[in-house]
Amino acid sequence: MDPAKLIPYAEVLPAPWWILEFLGMLTLTLHLLFINVVLGGSLILLFRRLSGGAKSPEQNQPDIFARKIPGTLAVAVTFGVAPLLFVQVLYGQFFYSSSVLLAKYWIMVIPAVIIAYYSAYVTSRKLYTTGALATLTLTITCALLLYVAFTFQNNISMMLQPEEWTRYFDNRGGTLLNTDDPVLWPRYLHFITASIAVAGLFSAIVWDFRRKKGVEGAGEKINKGLGIFGVATMIQIVLGFWLLISLPREVMMLYMGQNMLYTTTLFAAIILAIAATMSAVLKRLWPTVILLVLTVVTMIVMRTLLRTGYLEQYFRIEDVAMDPQYGIFSLFLVIFVAGLVILYLMFKWAFGDGEEARQ
Amino acid sequence: MNYPVWELLTMGGGSLIALIAIPHVYISHLAVGGGLFLWLTDIKGFRENSPEIHGYLKKHIWFFLLLTMVFGGITGVGIWFIISLVSPAATAILIHNFVFGWAIEWVFFLGEIVALLIYHYQYDKMSRKARLRISFLYFLFAWLSMVVIVGIIDFMLTPGDWLETREFWDGFFNPTYWPSLFFRSFIAFTFAGLFGYVTTLFLEDRAFRQRMVSYCTKWLLYPLLGLIPSAAWYFYAVPPEVREVAFEMNKLTGMWVNYLVAATVLIFLLGIVMSNSKSLSIQRLAVVVLVPVGLMWMGGFEYIREISRKPYVLFGYMYSNSILKADAARINEEGVLKLAKWSAIDHVTDDNLVEAGREVFNLECMACHTVGGLQNDIVPKVEPYGFQGLVAQISGQGKILGYMPPFLGTSEEKLALVSFIWNGILGRELPARESPYTGGSRQGPGPPPEKTEIPPFDPDSSEYVLLVWNDQGMHSVSDCDEFFSFLPPGNTLQAQLIRRDPLPERITSGVTISYKAPAQHANPARHTRFWDFADKLYGAKLEQNAGLKGNAAAGGTFKFDEEWERYEAKSIPLLPYRDDGKFDSYPVIDIEARDSANGELLASTKVVAPVSTEADCWRCHGGEPRKLGAGISDETATNILKVHDYHEGTQLYQQAIDGNPQRCQSCHADPALGAEGTEGVLNFSAAMHGWHANYMGELKDEACYYCHPVARGGVTRYFRGVHGLAFEKGKLVCGNCHGDMNEMAVSLLNAEKDKPRAAELARHIQIGSMPKDSVHGRTPWLDLPDCFACHVDFGQPGPGARAFNNYNPTTRELYRNYKDNGLINCIACHGSPHAVYPVLNPHDTYRDVLQPMQYQGEPYAIGANVKNCTVCHIQEMENPIHHENIQRMVRNKGGFEKLGY
Repeated sequence: MDPAKLIPYAEVLPAPWWILEFLGMLTLTLHLLFINVVLGGSLILLFRRLSGGAKSPEQNQPDIFARKIPGTLAVAVTFGVAPLLFVQVLYGQFFYSSSVLLAKYWIMVIPAVIIAYYSAYVTSRKLYTTGALATLTLTITCALLLYVAFTFQNNISMMLQPEEWTRYFDNRGGTLLNTDDPVLWPRYLHFITASIAVAGLFSAIVWDFRRKKGVEGAGEKINKGLGIFGVATMIQIVLGFWLLISLPREVMMLYMGQNMLYTTTLFAAIILAIAATMSAVLKRLWPTVILLVLTVVTMIVMRTLLRTGYLEQYFRIEDVAMDPQYGIFSLFLVIFVAGLVILYLMFKWAFGDGEEARQ
Repeated sequence: MNYPVWELLTMGGGSLIALIAIPHVYISHLAVGGGLFLWLTDIKGFRENSPEIHGYLKKHIWFFLLLTMVFGGITGVGIWFIISLVSPAATAILIHNFVFGWAIEWVFFLGEIVALLIYHYQYDKMSRKARLRISFLYFLFAWLSMVVIVGIIDFMLTPGDWLETREFWDGFFNPTYWPSLFFRSFIAFTFAGLFGYVTTLFLEDRAFRQRMVSYCTKWLLYPLLGLIPSAAWYFYAVPPEVREVAFEMNKLTGMWVNYLVAATVLIFLLGIVMSNSKSLSIQRLAVVVLVPVGLMWMGGFEYIREISRKPYVLFGYMYSNSILKADAARINEEGVLKLAKWSAIDHVTDDNLVEAGREVFNLECMACHTVGGLQNDIVPKVEPYGFQGLVAQISGQGKILGYMPPFLGTSEEKLALVSFIWNGILGRELPARESPYTGGSRQGPGPPPEKTEIPPFDPDSSEYVLLVWNDQGMHSVSDCDEFFSFLPPGNTLQAQLIRRDPLPERITSGVTISYKAPAQHANPARHTRFWDFADKLYGAKLEQNAGLKGNAAAGGTFKFDEEWERYEAKSIPLLPYRDDGKFDSYPVIDIEARDSANGELLASTKVVAPVSTEADCWRCHGGEPRKLGAGISDETATNILKVHDYHEGTQLYQQAIDGNPQRCQSCHADPALGAEGTEGVLNFSAAMHGWHANYMGELKDEACYYCHPVARGGVTRYFRGVHGLAFEKGKLVCGNCHGDMNEMAVSLLNAEKDKPRAAELARHIQIGSMPKDSVHGRTPWLDLPDCFACHVDFGQPGPGARAFNNYNPTTRELYRNYKDNGLINCIACHGSPHAVYPVLNPHDTYRDVLQPMQYQGEPYAIGANVKNCTVCHIQEMENPIHHENIQRMVRNKGGFEKLGY
């Protein structure tokens, strides 16, 4: 069976594809940064617990990850909704099809996140009081988040490979995975390692705020966070190469000089990653943060290009019919900006007049 | 069609959606109403300067956050996940058309989450002003999320002008938008009170707890005042035709409507209990009841809203199985398998019926039906049907019962689907491919044993000619009296006695005409339970073997009918079952006419009293024939009553089980039985043909054989005589006179137009011959095809002649009543309807022509072939007084030419 025949018809786009793509990339960047903190933070904390640490507050400060993860997870999920929306608008015919193929795993993401969430709250509240319970719930959170990430990787992998879709006819129960895809594993590890790196950097940032408030020993903690970031990013560079050579030859060649945009983005990403690592080694926090954000943005661009490269033989987003809804799009922009202003105001009211409240 | 189908045989996509969506909707309404609760309660705390209230609120926020943000938030994403797995095509439409609506909602959602996190984490650290701003903004964002989502949800039920314009705002501000927004807002405020109780009951200070309970009760009950009128507004904003399908046709809705009303009352009462009870344990018990009642309330409402959309997922645009309404014609033309992207089979062959059927099932049925699962299980729905019944069900889908989408695809695909249901789901062996009525698959009990002797007649010395006939040519008996009855045993024989003379005389007095049934048929009560239930069914206390007019099966006398000027023995309760276990639809009755004064035998003859219990209801309604290839078995009757009860809200099955079977005509009027029926209910024939045409209309002329004992190869084969022979040869069908199934139905329904049901049944019936409005309404049994429509001036019909839509002007012109100029009944000389001379009886050559053979030695109409005037007139005649073309030779020998006639 010709897999191209399986690809569903595309719906009409409600706006130029590049607007939707841009919005998707913007919100995905935010989502990834937050979710990296959640996953990486949980893993780092679990590692510390299992190696006998994190049993009492350090420098009388509550553990960053235990305390911040539940709220960060809430924000991460919220930022995840938007890119999921835009990927469905742009690539729904691929995304829905692959989701159905692994439907059982895909739908289990929902209870997994709910349980991970509640477990994170338990961890956060019981870290220093009921240690064994906290370790258990932390383990649960980590395992479930890894499960969610794995399922996402599989869905993304399956969505890009209609040639795998014919397997549906032997298994219609929604229990297909795409674990034979050589790209799947390096890409999964790439994401986990990125999470550890970003979480390390995040802890450095929080300790930097604490340092400014005069908490003793904060400098050491900042360096530790930068250290985690640096080591993880070095591993990332290796994993990145593994990922690159795992790609199908025709896609890989796009990054290896065949296509200037692909190649430039790859080299930019490598240079930025190396620069971020250097900056971390040099213990320069804020330049590292900026370099990281730039790296992530480049990675997101590369990821989008990768998808285009994979799907090129079947589909070009430029060919999809478009019937723009500029009116409602403009309204969205107005509300989006107004929303950001209100978010800013809320933070200002809540944190800006703290002194007044305490009086 | 467009997307792969997640094969969830037992779980069902709908169940999964409900499992995720109902708790989500419950919690998300709480998130909105609870937002207002937080803000106003916080204000109340400040106004009353009450640290207790603020302490309570702090705990409540924590509970609220864990419930709404974590569970509510993630299950919200969960709905999106699950609908995109179960209905990806519909999800794609919602996403593409409303992407910026969703994006706006996402901004509100982000604001909601951030506000709630700030409110919780900074509760004690903010100024009064900041805190009230944050809590107000939380409520505002939560409510605005609802403002957006309501537009998209209600779009699915009432897309309004969007169907034409495809404009965002037309879909968004659809006809149910505003009532729905009000309705849901009030629900949200009620739930705020309901969940307020939950945390209130953990307060330790009794007086404060009681105060807060009363406060929550106001939240619970006051919004009900707005909820009820907005519910009515919402209900009436739904277009009436949608309401009709959802609330009248769909029997699944009623239970939930009842539940919703009961639960609303219960919530109200429990609110009163909460407020007035001083006992903490009673209050806790009430809350333990209230929380699940609220959940079910929400689920009930959402279920009704969802089910109201049937047969669509996007009303008027996309069917529940994700097939676009606009694609229907093309799918019927080219086939669903060919057009579906995700089917392993693209066309049906003889060898892949079941596998192809599975693909069709996945594409068209699985969106709503499970196989052996909890939700809308297909198994009990198909189990009561026979194979042909499933074909009929699928053909009739989406017609009268508008909540099912129509089957879309070719007839081969329909057969494949039924084959999959029959074999793949029910595990039954597939029947032969050919029609039971054209192939040789029927197993009749064989012909009756004896040949009938032709009674004697001496043309020279016999003084009288006794002409006797059956009024209908076949009397059908329903024969499942312990369940229901619509045709009791009761053949009617009619007679005219003529004194032979050059000027013959009709004898109308002074004679006694009697009948005597053969011994094998004289004891019908041995073969049926009619006499056990005659009292209940027909209100008649009958002696065993006596008919409804008092005539015994074994024998009796005719009475003279002054109005119609003929002798008549009404309702002789004969059955086709013989005492020796054989089946004979043509019992031969001995008739004698004697002088009433002295008992002298004036004339004697024989006539068949045709009777049959053959009706293939079982082919559709399941089960087997009752016995000897005929009759309605208990299983078939049970299935019929249950389906009637289901659709019409009757209790017929239970009544039958309780020993009170009903006569169909106790509600459905029927001139055949002189039954008036119930006002507003369709007459029996209109109901039967009208309903079944929706399911069997595609069978057209063949549809008749499933109910009437006409079929070739059947045990009865009642359509005989010259017309029957043409029928056997395939030159004529029932429809030539009566119209096919669809025409028959429309003609009957058009006479019942004053009854609302008539329009419902007629709506989807299509006829090809003429516009439906041009079909004259006809009363069953009284308006029948006019012979002269085809036999113009007694002539031979032209090719393709049809009598349909030409009825006798009055009952005088009915074939069974009509008289010639000489005042002899047409039927006396030409034989019964459906058995017009010459009749080659399929089982026993001469049995249906006993009188022509007796009186003239030929099987033709009495007096035919010129020379036969002598039968009555003793001499040959020249003046064609009976009708104009009588003086010519028989033109249609009806097969007897092969026997030397």
